[in-house]
Amino acid sequence: MSPLIIILLLVIFLIPVFIYNNLIRKKNAVDNAFFSIDVMLKKRYDLIPQLVETVKGYMQHEKGLLTSVTELRQKVMQDNLSANERVKLDNQINTVLQQIFVSFENYPQLKSSENFLRLQGAINEAEEQLAASRRFYNAAVNDYHNAIETFPSSLIASAAGMRRKEYFNIPDSEKSASAININ
Amino acid sequence: MSSANNFNLFYENELKHLLTPLEEDRRKIKKYGIAGFFFLGAAILLFIISAASHNSGTAVIAFILILSALILLIVFGNKKKSFAAGFKETIVRKIIHFIDPSLTYNPHLSISKTDYLNSGLFVEQPDRYSGDDYIEGTHEKTFFCFSELHTERKVSSGKSTHWETIFRGLFFIADFNKNFSGRTYVWSERNPQINFLTKLFSSFAWNLEKVKLESVEFEKRFIVYSSDQVEARYILTPSFMERIVRLQQLMGEGTSLSFVNTNIHVAVPIKDELFEPAIFSANDNNRLGDFYNTINIVFDIIDELKLNQRLWNKE
Repeated sequence: MSPLIIILLLVIFLIPVFIYNNLIRKKNAVDNAFFSIDVMLKKRYDLIPQLVETVKGYMQHEKGLLTSVTELRQKVMQDNLSANERVKLDNQINTVLQQIFVSFENYPQLKSSENFLRLQGAINEAEEQLAASRRFYNAAVNDYHNAIETFPSSLIASAAGMRRKEYFNIPDSEKSASAININ
Repeated sequence: MSSANNFNLFYENELKHLLTPLEEDRRKIKKYGIAGFFFLGAAILLFIISAASHNSGTAVIAFILILSALILLIVFGNKKKSFAAGFKETIVRKIIHFIDPSLTYNPHLSISKTDYLNSGLFVEQPDRYSGDDYIEGTHEKTFFCFSELHTERKVSSGKSTHWETIFRGLFFIADFNKNFSGRTYVWSERNPQINFLTKLFSSFAWNLEKVKLESVEFEKRFIVYSSDQVEARYILTPSFMERIVRLQQLMGEGTSLSFVNTNIHVAVPIKDELFEPAIFSANDNNRLGDFYNTINIVFDIIDELKLNQRLWNKE
């Protein structure tokens, strides 16, 4: 066999390997981005007990909300949850947290509590970081979709059983995420 | 901060009487310049005539003229320099303090070379680094400093060497309103170091990843690299991207930004020298108004990017 044919065969063999590796890298990037959302979510969940502890002395009428957010947090921190269950619980936490945040308005004395302000700042930052991770995840998914759906990598992707992944819905409030001015 | 109308009033009441003696000096200095250039022109003309007519007498006169021209131009250069220094001390300093009395101004200092290089906006080590008109202060909650900078590279081709500008304009550094630990660069597509090679090798050479963002308008104007994909998006929220686009529309297409060491760096290319008085034309209301507007650019950057809207843990 002449060296030229050997080189040609090598190239023919190597191209799919390169394409496959590239696809795997993109898939891993998606997993990695998903993991970063997880990290940010945990960071936010960790702030919930502190929040409850700080505001429970003030918020006499919202005890129910505080209890339910604590329970939801305990549930979501369990390891054996499916992705769907976690998303559902996370949405519930979001709703309850929003209700709690709205009721802060009824307690002006909270705003003079140094602890509360620091905590609300930390939550605000965690929310922004969460929004950033979700956007990173969506960018990675978009990149991955482009790779699995364009020729010729689409051939290898379908042979390897690579499928589309879900995008995260980014709430409108996060699309314009910016610092909240407390002054 | 004061509006343009206020500035006109300030000019009439506070600057005009200070400018009168300075304008007299300027007119005198201008005469040296005009005479110097006139002598130089005449000498060149006489040299050509003497070469054509082989007249040595004309050549001697031309030689004397050249010498006179040189002396006049040296005197002109020195006088211009001390005039500019005096002008900056009286007029520019007064304008700066009119904008905000707490601002510090040093006409001889500039942003340090270390800060310039640390910003990562221009990775190339400059062969010549110069700058002046350093101003620093705090606008509401945001500490900032800026100066004029001019950085150049030496280009040698054969025996001749010449200088090429890497950056010339206003270089601005401010404390950013969010905490971050990585490096994020928002390079204008016009930044000289953005070329095919840097696009290809940035990930290896600088350990950075390209960040693809959602805003089409933003992606058209900037190319973003970061050491951390999530952090880059934490800094560049959708609303912040819109503000950066507006900032670039305001400042010009070459404007680039970087986020390093908890600071934001902005490089605004400007062709003219900042705060230098004119010699051959009057330093009038319009010209001083330009100085005033240039300083206000910095406040525009802070306001436009809402750097004063702090996350609570970075008050």
